[in-house]
Amino acid sequence: MATAISIQGLTKKYVDVWQKQEVIAVNNLNLEVQEGEIFGFLGRNGAGKTTTIKMLLGLVFPTAGDAALLGAPMGDNNAKNFLAYLPEETYFYDSMSAWDLMDYYGRLFKLPKNVREQRISICLEKVRLQKDAWHRNIRGYSKGMRQRTGIAQALINDPKLLFLDEPTSGLDPIAHAELRDIVASLKDEGKTVFLSSHQLADVELICTRVAIIHRGKLLRVGTIQELVAGQRTEITVQGKELMNGTLAKLKNISPDIEEQGMSTLVIQSDDTAQVSAIIDVVRGADCSVLSIVPHKRTLEEVFVETVRREEESL
Amino acid sequence: MSVIYAVAHQTVREALRRRIMWIFLIIGVFLIALGPVFGFLSPRDSLVILKSLGLAAILLAGLFTTIVTCIYLIPVEIDRRTIYTVLSKPVQRYQFVLGKFIGGFFTVFINIAAMGIVFLVMLYFQMGHHLAPDMVEGVVLTFFQLMLLAALSIFFSTFATPVVNFFLSFGIFMVGNLTSVTDTLTTSKSPIAALAGRIIYYLLPQFGNFNIMNSLIHPGQNITNMQVYIRNCIVYAIIYSSVLLAIAILIFDSREV
Ligand SMILES: Nc1ncnc2c1ncn2[C@@H]1O[C@H](COP(=O)(O)OP(=O)(O)O)[C@@H](O)[C@H]1O
Ligand SMILES: [Mg+2]
Repeated sequence: MATAISIQGLTKKYVDVWQKQEVIAVNNLNLEVQEGEIFGFLGRNGAGKTTTIKMLLGLVFPTAGDAALLGAPMGDNNAKNFLAYLPEETYFYDSMSAWDLMDYYGRLFKLPKNVREQRISICLEKVRLQKDAWHRNIRGYSKGMRQRTGIAQALINDPKLLFLDEPTSGLDPIAHAELRDIVASLKDEGKTVFLSSHQLADVELICTRVAIIHRGKLLRVGTIQELVAGQRTEITVQGKELMNGTLAKLKNISPDIEEQGMSTLVIQSDDTAQVSAIIDVVRGADCSVLSIVPHKRTLEEVFVETVRREEESL
Repeated sequence: MSVIYAVAHQTVREALRRRIMWIFLIIGVFLIALGPVFGFLSPRDSLVILKSLGLAAILLAGLFTTIVTCIYLIPVEIDRRTIYTVLSKPVQRYQFVLGKFIGGFFTVFINIAAMGIVFLVMLYFQMGHHLAPDMVEGVVLTFFQLMLLAALSIFFSTFATPVVNFFLSFGIFMVGNLTSVTDTLTTSKSPIAALAGRIIYYLLPQFGNFNIMNSLIHPGQNITNMQVYIRNCIVYAIIYSSVLLAIAILIFDSREV
C-alpha cells in the first residue's frame, strides 16, 4: 500500500516579536499515513494540529523539516487536485448559496460546467444538506448545515486525501452522528482521511490508526488496538487481617490500592502476573477475593494518561 | 487563466454586493447631475464648469469606490479564513492576487462606465446633440488613473491592514496629484528640494498626469498632441500597475495566511 502522507522532522516556531516569546507549535514531527487509512490526529487545543495541517497544505511555512503528500512535495500545486481541506470553524462567503459556493470551488478545479453540476448534486446529497437550502444564502444556515456544506466542498474534486480539522465539534447529536458516519463512509470509497479531533469517542469508532500530539510533540502512534492494549484488572478483596501486614505486602506488588472502609480494598493492576501474586497473598492471609473485573481501556483513558504522564515529566 | 477568471468573477460578485459601492455611485451621479445647475449660475463658461465638475465627480466617487473596494479584497479573505479553502485547491498565489486585482479593477470599471455614460449623455444634450470627444478621453484617463490606484491598494493590502492601507493609498494618491508642487520642487534652486521633487516624480505614481482638465485650467501647460499624451498615460498606468502587482505577488508568495 502506498504512502499518502510522509512527514519528516516537521517543525514550526512562531516568534512573537513584541513579547520576544517563541512558541514551538510543532516540534520535530515524524509521521507516515498509508493510503486508505482514516488517521486520527489527536491533541488538546493548542497542541499543534491545525498548524501541522496548514504546513502540509502550504498555507504556512515550516521552520524545519519536510513532507510529501501523495508522493509530491508539500505545497505542490498539481497534487492539490487530489487533496481536500475542511478548515476548523470556516466562514464561507456567506452571501452565496451552497450551490454557488460549490460552483466557484468547482471552477477552481477547472471542472467543466456539466461535470460541476453533477458533482455539486452528488456532494450536497451525500452530506444530506436539505434540498430547499441549496439555493439559499449560507448566512441563514445552522451550524450543522454549514458544516455539511464544508464537507461537501471538500468532496467536490473527488479527492484522494482529505484533511478534516475538527469536523464534528460543536454540532448537535444528530448532525454529529450523521457527519461522523459520512466521514467513516469515505473509507469505503478508498479515500485517505487525516482527521484532527479531540472527540475521542468518534475517533475510536471510525479511525484505523491514531497519533497523539501534545505541545507540538508526537507522543504516541498506533492502531486503536495497540494503544488501548494492556487490560486493567480491578480486584476487590475483603478480610479482617488485611490492615495488618497484608496491606504492606500488597502495596509491594501493586501500589495502586484504594481502601474502602475497615476491611475492603480495591486493587488495580495491568499485569496478569501481578494479579496472580495479589490473589496468592490474599488467600494466604485468610481473606477473601470478592471480585476480579477486567476493564478494557478506552482511547480516552489512554489519551488522558499519555498527556498527564508527559505533563508530569516536564 | 480560467482560475484567475473564477477568482475575479467571484470578487466582482462580492464587491457588487457591498452597499457602500452603490452609495458612492449614487453620490457620483448626483454630483454629475448638479453640473447644469451650476451652469445656469454662470452661463458664460457654463460648459467648462459642466465638464470639470463632471470629471471631478467621476474621479471623486471613483476614488472612494476604488479604495474601499480594493483595500479589503485580500484581508477579508484572510479574516474570514475563506482563503484557506481557496489556496488549498489548485490555485497558485499569483493567480489569487491577479484574480483579486482584475475583480477589483472590473468593479471600478463598472462604476466609472456607469458614471461616464450618464455624464457623456448629459453633455450630449447640453451641447445641442454633439458628442464631446475630449470628455470621452477624460473619462478614459480617469479610468486608467483609478486602475493604477487599484493596483496600489492591492499592493499595500498584501502587507498592510485596511486602515493603514486606506491612509497610504489615499495619501499617495494626493501627493501624486500635486503635479504643480512636484514641478516647483524639481526646478527649485535648493538641491535638496530638487532631489525630493525628483524622487516624488520618479518613484510615486504621477496621478496628476491623468487629469486633463488641469491643462484647461492651467493653459500654460498645453498638451501639443493629445493622442500621444493619452497613449503615454495609458502605457504608464499599465507598466506601473504591472510592477506593483509583481512586487505584490512576491510579497504574498512568502506570506503566511
Ligand atoms: N499565527 C500564529 N502565531 C503565533 N502562534 C500561533 C499561531 N498559530 C498558532 N499558534 C500557536 O501554536 C500552537 C498550536 O496551535 P494550533 O496548531 O492551532 O493547535 P490546535 O489546532 O491543535 O488547537 C498554539 O500554542 C498556538 O497559540
Ligand atoms: Mg486547531
